[in-house]
Amino acid sequence: MLRVRIGLLTEGGYPYARGEARLWCDRLVRGLGQHEFRLYALSRDREQERAGWVDVPAQVTQVRTAPLWTAEVDGAWYGRRARRRFAEHYGDLAAGLCAGPAGAPGQGARSPQEADRFRSALYGLAELAREEGGMVAALRSEEAVRALERVCRAPGAPRAAREARVTDLLLVGAHLEQALRPLSLDWYAEGELGSVDLCHAAAGGLAALPGLLARHFHGVPLVVTEYGVPLRAHYLGSADAPPAVRALLAAFHGRLAAEVYRSAAMLTPGNTHVRRWQERCGADRSKVRTVYPGMSAARFAAAGERAGGRSGAAHMANGAHMADVADGAHVVHAADGGTGPGTLVWVGRIEPSKDLVTLLHAFAAVRQRVPGARLRIAGSAPDPEGAAYLLHCEELAGRLFQGDPPVEFVDMSGPAAPGLADVYARGAVIVLSSVVEGFPVSVVEAMFSGRATVSTDVGAVVEVVGGTGLVVPPRDPRALADACVALLRDPARRDRLGAAARARAMELFTVEQNVAAFHRIYLEVAGRCPARRIAEADAAEPRPFAVPAELRVAGAESVEVTR
Amino acid sequence: MNGLDKRARAAQGGGDPSGTGSSGVSSGVPSGVSSGVSSGVPSGASPGVSSVVSPGVSSGSSSGVASGADPVKALMLRHRELCERAVDPLEIAAGLEAHGVTDRTAARFRHRDVFSLAEEMYARAGRPDEEEGAAGPSTPAGPPPARWALRSLLPGALCVGAVAALRWTTGELRLVVAVLGLLAVVGAVRLALGRGPLSSEGRSVPGPHDWRTPPGARTWAYLLVGYALMGDGLLHTGLVGGPDDLPDGGQYGDWPVTLTPLLALGLSCVPAAWTAHLFRTGVGRKLAGSRGLEEFAATARPLLLGVVAVHLAAVSGLSVLCAVLLDEHSTPAATAALGALLLIARLLTVHGFTHAPGVVLRAVGWTEIASVCLVFAGRLPGCGVLAGPVETVVSVWGEHAVPLLACAAGALVLLVHACRRLALASAHAPAAPRPPSDR
Repeated sequence: MLRVRIGLLTEGGYPYARGEARLWCDRLVRGLGQHEFRLYALSRDREQERAGWVDVPAQVTQVRTAPLWTAEVDGAWYGRRARRRFAEHYGDLAAGLCAGPAGAPGQGARSPQEADRFRSALYGLAELAREEGGMVAALRSEEAVRALERVCRAPGAPRAAREARVTDLLLVGAHLEQALRPLSLDWYAEGELGSVDLCHAAAGGLAALPGLLARHFHGVPLVVTEYGVPLRAHYLGSADAPPAVRALLAAFHGRLAAEVYRSAAMLTPGNTHVRRWQERCGADRSKVRTVYPGMSAARFAAAGERAGGRSGAAHMANGAHMADVADGAHVVHAADGGTGPGTLVWVGRIEPSKDLVTLLHAFAAVRQRVPGARLRIAGSAPDPEGAAYLLHCEELAGRLFQGDPPVEFVDMSGPAAPGLADVYARGAVIVLSSVVEGFPVSVVEAMFSGRATVSTDVGAVVEVVGGTGLVVPPRDPRALADACVALLRDPARRDRLGAAARARAMELFTVEQNVAAFHRIYLEVAGRCPARRIAEADAAEPRPFAVPAELRVAGAESVEVTR
Repeated sequence: MNGLDKRARAAQGGGDPSGTGSSGVSSGVPSGVSSGVSSGVPSGASPGVSSVVSPGVSSGSSSGVASGADPVKALMLRHRELCERAVDPLEIAAGLEAHGVTDRTAARFRHRDVFSLAEEMYARAGRPDEEEGAAGPSTPAGPPPARWALRSLLPGALCVGAVAALRWTTGELRLVVAVLGLLAVVGAVRLALGRGPLSSEGRSVPGPHDWRTPPGARTWAYLLVGYALMGDGLLHTGLVGGPDDLPDGGQYGDWPVTLTPLLALGLSCVPAAWTAHLFRTGVGRKLAGSRGLEEFAATARPLLLGVVAVHLAAVSGLSVLCAVLLDEHSTPAATAALGALLLIARLLTVHGFTHAPGVVLRAVGWTEIASVCLVFAGRLPGCGVLAGPVETVVSVWGEHAVPLLACAAGALVLLVHACRRLALASAHAPAAPRPPSDR
């Protein structure tokens, strides 16, 4: 089998113990033991570095890390020629930010020349950093600020940029210096990223920047996975900045995203929502493959199998048996059982964007029509804002339901918290009431558990649920109540939907499908860009079957180029 | 409801044939159980009134379509702030999505997706001219003034204590007090320089070890203070043939010690911190107000000169005061020159320019050492000419002239350098922000 050497690029994530998306990367690396991984990780802050790494498996042959939060000046100061080169490239980069309609990286809105200008400036700076070093000092120099000032005052600059004060220029310069720190790394030598078969960036944005440079210097193909949109995160995160800063930085991140999407051999967004942003920013449809994040289904096997068995009377005994086998002594009690009015369950992290207030109002309406119904809100509020919101919700529940309260708040963070699978198993219908959501984890877990769901139409909910649950508009208590009542009153339909949900989740959202999808993508990308591998194989002593015959056919032209 | 809404619902309901289509999901009339988020604003009746925080997308928008009015306008009113401040359509799209607007919602506004809806909103938004009043973000505030003011008081207070103790002790105890006092004052100075306006916190400065003073420069600075303490006495004694003994800490001995400069410099940490604070806030104001680098440079230079002048005056005053209190003979000008030299060196250092202060402090230090050495070298047979220049200077202006001339020249050179360097905007660049982490 073809053993692919993968340079895995992360930013603020794997292998740091306190990182984003580290679970996914860990599963990916462990799941693909037949390949070789080299980790190139950018850390986001000092705390993250102090918290250390997770255990890396044997297929990770090398780990290189670099801080993104600090940069030392390496003592190299430019001579006259290098300074002129820097001024020229940085000026071009800045001009690329100000040229054309501000931050409109969408198709057609920006001329190709401007994209070329930004691109050549970026790679020009990278070459300068590689040859001369000293990029950090240069990016902090007066020369850089002056270049920014020049482009902001140039005719045709966007209005927000023309308004820029010196503070704004300094802020933009500081941000660019930080964003371009990967240029100064020594990761692009022949033995490092230069000798991998492909780079896989675990996120877009700055994590993909080393991949861009490896591609530029060595022609290494780049695969970019995005579970969130860095550009969108930037827009939401920079809301407090002055307009000029926002305009210039949005332009930078937009151009960078466009360049990443253009250069990547394959883009794997985590859901359609992300995919839409990628296509909007100029990604070529033909190289976009949605790969859903994988989640561990094993925890919910017992609940799911039982629910599946319940859907048909003939399978009842079988289902119960399987549940007992799978769950051992821990017997799950189904709260609804087809006879009682049933329990609505909400699971998640408690914060205002989850809109529990709407859920409580909706449940009040449900209670009027299905008197015995109950609501369990299982979650934790790790931050003060969430805790305050939880308190608010508890007060509201107390006001809405006097006497015997049908609403139960379950703290999932405490030591006495019930198991997650148990919580799902006890619910008749799982509800999601968020107004903002990325990939709805609780919905997928409910689907693994074979439960019918009622969710609000946010983020990736619709594509996750498919036809296996009800979807209502957000912030609409009446619609939410109607959907819940419809399912509570119809156990047969609930079971049908639950079974379909489990089948769909097992097909689309397991860890195995995620790992298998990346395995295929690695082989495809490595097979499509085989020049290096064939050249190396031919240079070394011949090994039979070191290179599949197809590669020679596919890469016949590029072999000539490489030599 | 209208057909658009039905289509949207069908798309949401997916494969479930018996969806909730009949359940009045989007009835347009705000239901009695209005969500708590929309804070009691009747969203159906006056959609424009509700704030950005509570768009109430479903009910408000559908009522807009139903009434045949311009639905996008109602949405724009609801997200007015977002539309006005957006720098491009994608920012509106991101903001709308963060408020729960999806492609299905956009379909109700007869748009294919959120992006095209955002583009219409961006194109239609009348963006008011940027208010001059919103003059950038406030200058980066360090620790509250009380904290650094206390820290900068510490060296002066310890100096007063040490000097008083020296006055009241004699013999070996005096030596112990002197050593302890010296250590305490050095520690207090480091504390005062470690935080607050005299430190480089909150800055991104272009130096190798950008947050600390190079050790060489620090040593030379202490040496200059040491010379102010007992250099004049040594020079005087050297010229008249001494010294025959080590200094005893008093001002009438064989090798007299002048405590006035030490006390004045210790107390001058307060005006130094205060003037550095003035400089920092002034620069922050000028940065936020200037539209160009030239304009900034033109205003920063007078600010620097003014700050140095204030410090000079403060140290002179303190020096006179201390001399009176201690009943010593001292030249305020020499102490003031040294104070100004140290302040400018510190300002340059915290802004990342560590090279020039190091060179100048070293040069001044060598000048002072050399003048003493020349005096003693002049005693060697046949080398009398070596002591000539120093003797001339001392005979004309007194022995205070040596440090005064050296420090004043050094301060002047550094001031010229600082006027060029600290007028560069890049010297005042803020520390880089944290990358956005909300993926």
